[in-house]
Amino acid sequence: MSDFLTIQNATRRFGGLVAVDDVTTRVDHGQLVGLIGPNGAGKTTLFNLISGFTPLSSGDVHFKGTRLNGMKPNRIARLGIGRTFQNLRVFPNMTVFDNVSVGAFGTHPQSALDALRSGSKRAETISERVWQALERTELAYVATDLAANLSYGKRKYLEIARALAMQPDFLILDEPAAGLNDSETLELANFIRSLHADGLTIMLVEHDMGLVMSVCERIVVLASGKKIADADPDTVRADPAVLEAYLGTDE
Amino acid sequence: MSDLANPPTAAPPSTLRNLVLPILIAIVIFAVVPAVLTSFGRGYFWQIANIALIFVLLAASLHVVTGVAGLLHLGHAAFYGVGAYTAGLLASEQGMPFLVTIPAAAIVTAAIAFLVALPTMRLVSIYFAVATLAIGQMIYLVLLNWVSFTHGPNGVLIFSGLEVFGIDLSSPIATYFLVAVIVSASIVLIHRISHSYYGNALRSLREDDQCADAMGVRTARLKMEAFVISAAFAGIAGALWAHTTGYISPSDFDFAESILILAMVVVGGLGSLPGAVIGALLLILLPEVLRDVGDVRNIMVGIVMFLSILLLPKGLFGEVSALSMIRRQFGDAWRRDENGKGIGWR
Repeated sequence: MSDFLTIQNATRRFGGLVAVDDVTTRVDHGQLVGLIGPNGAGKTTLFNLISGFTPLSSGDVHFKGTRLNGMKPNRIARLGIGRTFQNLRVFPNMTVFDNVSVGAFGTHPQSALDALRSGSKRAETISERVWQALERTELAYVATDLAANLSYGKRKYLEIARALAMQPDFLILDEPAAGLNDSETLELANFIRSLHADGLTIMLVEHDMGLVMSVCERIVVLASGKKIADADPDTVRADPAVLEAYLGTDE
Repeated sequence: MSDLANPPTAAPPSTLRNLVLPILIAIVIFAVVPAVLTSFGRGYFWQIANIALIFVLLAASLHVVTGVAGLLHLGHAAFYGVGAYTAGLLASEQGMPFLVTIPAAAIVTAAIAFLVALPTMRLVSIYFAVATLAIGQMIYLVLLNWVSFTHGPNGVLIFSGLEVFGIDLSSPIATYFLVAVIVSASIVLIHRISHSYYGNALRSLREDDQCADAMGVRTARLKMEAFVISAAFAGIAGALWAHTTGYISPSDFDFAESILILAMVVVGGLGSLPGAVIGALLLILLPEVLRDVGDVRNIMVGIVMFLSILLLPKGLFGEVSALSMIRRQFGDAWRRDENGKGIGWR
């Protein structure tokens, strides 16, 4: 099987702090992988190393045979990696439809010259992709609402819809359950499972173990920048190193 | 589930309905205004009409870069000046025909904008604004001090009359029609650029360019394109100014002019193309309407600007309402929401 995402000895230093310390792992095509760890474990930094928002200090990241080191985020995105943001970053003054259209535009751009023509094939493809993503996330009925007017939960789905409109091969969700109540989290878990069932490879970055344990088939655990476990949920749950990292010594 | 979950409910594109607004606007520009001006019978009013149209184009061009892409541009008048000098010098010293000087002005202005934008585009927010301020001042000083080429403060006189395919168009009404045709065509192009998926991508730069970057949008390149496109249309406006006034000098393109154009865009509504047009008409025509009250008029114009921004910070015709109106007219007709509005762009 050809390599999908491989991370080799990835290290990121911020001054004296080693946020990600010599992490080696991989994600295979079709997997639904969780990346968990206590606060400050380096999850988001590792995620940013993959998506190009933070440059590697050393090590390598490859996606489908392409080395991602030093690439700009938009180039990595066009290779087929979609992402959402931990702290909800929708385009507030644009409609839901227009928000999602930016995702479709990102991987299927329209040139300024093409925009001058009415009824261009490119625009039609973008429209199609936006509708598909809106239907998939059940946001079609608020398509003309401003993103700023959506509820918090809906905005989460809007971010996912925008990433889906990119038609990515690999989707990374950064703490999607943050700020959701239990029933909303359950609904989200079902939604993530259904995306996976459609054949999308997904990585779920989570602070909270609950969601990850229930949906992921494999879990990578970080603590203080180091990978301390990489196994199926049951093994991870019983791993003494994981328990120590999460529970510490004073709890 | 709403009906939308089950498209396409292919409503036939109602072409006729889509044409109502453009036809109305065309009637005003090409019939009502000329008829009214003819009945006044004074050359001065024709000149005001031309200036208003030229500033409509200037505001619309700044709308692309500042309103849509969200880059605060404080040197727009300098590109207007480059276009005016390109057209003016080509016409007066090389004897180039009118129809050659217009695209020449657009191309030269775009090329200069491209060169100065190369090092500038990495800058963000206030730093970008200060860089454009510096670019504007540099271009202005070149126009003022490169006497052997631009004639410096003496300016350039353009004697060659307006001729298109050998037809003399220098009568006031013919000049007005010429300006109106070129400005209208330019506005249609700007309309297509701002009201399309390309325009949506430009808006995403304004909203959150890092986030757009993560979606695969080539942010640096798009900012550059918006800047260059905007400059090209400012160049066309400059060429029209040179030809209609017959005289250009550096003071027509100084910092105050950049601020005036910016005020038009802000008062009309940042991000709104109809707003930019309304803002330009207001700030050009209001001082003329108030001519009878004497020098107080400048203060009154200031008060109107101040009040409009205080009471309507989103502009006289804000982006949200402008986009929803334009979508109704030109939106994707094959899919509509429950009110029959087109949602996407064609």
